[in-house]
Amino acid sequence: MMSLDSLLPETGSIDNKTDHKTVAPSFKTVGEFKLKDPRISCQNIVVRYGEKLAINGLSLDIGRNEVLAMIGPSGCGKSTFLRCINRMNDTIEGCRVTGKIMMDGQDINSPEIDTVPLRAQVGMVFQKPNPFPKSIRENVAFGPKIHGFVETKAELEEIVENSLKRAGLWKEVKDRLDQPGTSLSGGQQQRLCIARTIAVNPEVILMDEPCSALDPIATAIIEELIYELKKDYTICIVTHSMQQASRVSQRTAYFHLGELIEVGDTKQIFMNPKNRLTEDYITGRFG
Amino acid sequence: MSAGLPRKKDTIEIVRRGLKKRHAAARRFKFTGVAAVGMSLFFLSLLFVSIFSKGYSAFRQTYVHLDVSIDPEILGVGAHPDMNALANGDYGGLRKAALRTMFPEVKKRREKRALYQLVSSGADYQLRDAVMADPALIGTTLSLWVPADDDVDMLIKGHIRRELPEDDRRLKDYQIAWIDRLVAAGRIENRFNTILFTAGDSRDPEQAGILGALVGSLFTMLVTLSLSFPIGIAAAIYLEEFAPRNRWSDFIEVNINNLAAVPSIVFGLLGLVIFLTYFDLPRSAPLVGGLVLTLMTLPTIIIASRAALASVPPSIREAALGIGASPMQTLLFHVLPLALPGVLTGTIIGMARALGETAPLLMIGMVAFIVDIPTGIFDPSTVLPVQIYLWADSPERGFVERTSAAIMVLLIFLIVMNALAVILRKSFERRW
Repeated sequence: MMSLDSLLPETGSIDNKTDHKTVAPSFKTVGEFKLKDPRISCQNIVVRYGEKLAINGLSLDIGRNEVLAMIGPSGCGKSTFLRCINRMNDTIEGCRVTGKIMMDGQDINSPEIDTVPLRAQVGMVFQKPNPFPKSIRENVAFGPKIHGFVETKAELEEIVENSLKRAGLWKEVKDRLDQPGTSLSGGQQQRLCIARTIAVNPEVILMDEPCSALDPIATAIIEELIYELKKDYTICIVTHSMQQASRVSQRTAYFHLGELIEVGDTKQIFMNPKNRLTEDYITGRFG
Repeated sequence: MSAGLPRKKDTIEIVRRGLKKRHAAARRFKFTGVAAVGMSLFFLSLLFVSIFSKGYSAFRQTYVHLDVSIDPEILGVGAHPDMNALANGDYGGLRKAALRTMFPEVKKRREKRALYQLVSSGADYQLRDAVMADPALIGTTLSLWVPADDDVDMLIKGHIRRELPEDDRRLKDYQIAWIDRLVAAGRIENRFNTILFTAGDSRDPEQAGILGALVGSLFTMLVTLSLSFPIGIAAAIYLEEFAPRNRWSDFIEVNINNLAAVPSIVFGLLGLVIFLTYFDLPRSAPLVGGLVLTLMTLPTIIIASRAALASVPPSIREAALGIGASPMQTLLFHVLPLALPGVLTGTIIGMARALGETAPLLMIGMVAFIVDIPTGIFDPSTVLPVQIYLWADSPERGFVERTSAAIMVLLIFLIVMNALAVILRKSFERRW
């Protein structure tokens, strides 16, 4: 195998850089990381876990109603980047995020931003299905309840039903809404988590490898669901499956060691990658 | 195949050779565990058998049937006395007169006194209560069962041996003769000992009950629980969920762990200085006992609660935070319910330890001799383990069985408390 260092951008090994100010902006990125009318615009994101640099000066725009897939080898910072967008990195001790994340004219990375409304606006689906150990109904109803969307029980029931329908789970669970969410199968649990996210009516949905714990059939159902959801939501999905990225996304971003190497139209990335790192990864030479 | 490995045929032979030894080791290991459990069970049953065999007789008490003529002259009241006069009447005189009527041949002063000793002086209160409840009884003859003196009780139960020389036992030959006459006349009976469960402490074994200590324990536990449970959980939540990890939180953690190992008597001394001397709170009160036991229980509850909170899977927290729940909502709706079984286990352990604690309560005066049954957390009282200590220290033979009976009551209290907590914990337990 060839040395990876030779393929890296000339900034050298990123672990040696501890001061983000010296980090060059991601001018090395191949492709259009800037969009004309982005939903979210991330500029020069640097993430550190303690002394360890996880993301090194990354800029990437997320378009409206698009599915953006993020691919790359393990530890390349895709999940970390995803968690910047709804500030989930706040919950990790020793994690520092700098840079600008512009959304509706506001920098959502600034400490003044309240994470509660932000996370209602930018929902998240996690790698491992994590339903609350409560009934299916309570799982979906929790979000609308805490945000005060509903006043009557009927309204709440309506939200629960609609969310489960949109997540494609209604038919399977409508007769057992009072059973625990943990009693469902893995794929159903993940769709329940998607329903729970939809119930809060977010604008952006972040998905962190949502199918990695699922079998191919459940994966296919979720992929179909993502295709449906695209009409109403902006979706960012991290995935290890290149087939999945090519199936569900319009744009694909390739991450490598905390840098954004290449971003562009999914077809172009998979058919005609411009950077050699990207090519090596998607042709399976490493990663 | 690598050079260092044996040939394929040999490997299975080598494995076989060692097999016997391995299985024997596994059996030995298992046997050690079984032996340990068996030994604990043996000693536990030994404890129970010893307590029960010593204490069961305390639940029965010897009663004497007296025919007391309520003579207003002996009582020292007029024909139509007021309540005050009735309350101060000479009921002991009535009791003595009743005994004299039964044994008219007893004339000598010393023998008379010995005769009077057969019946508990507690009978006087029984008479007074009866007369005050119904003053019309004056002038009539009242027939009632009164508790016998503890020496009579011990003789009937066989704890005083008749074959001993007269000087070595607490009852004289003529007293035993009177008792035998009473037994023959059907005037002595062994009945269920209600006094044990309805009275406070007393110097006379036949009048001593554990209700005072039981109620004192109950009040003390209530104070302890209502303080240590919320404070413990609040401290654990803050330290585990909100406090930044720095030198201060490390310092606090080390101190809490140290406090959990501090001997309880030290907490008693602290309570004596702080609560009694400095804050001037009432001595011997369940309030102060509860406060001291709270200090003692807190570290246990905090440590257990923190462990329970830390064991809640982070995915649950992320799920709640991810849909925009505030940290408090995440905690109250999701993390705390999942941690509650662990929190309750810690609380049970802490409370069980507090219930059996004696030393710190000695320091704050809960060891005092208290006859009245406490009616609130400010009343002087004692608690079950201290009562056991006090009775175990008493020389009268009647207290031996009562000590064991009190231990049984303490154990039942403990079992009820633990059972309640286990039921509570079970109802909160959820799988994820």
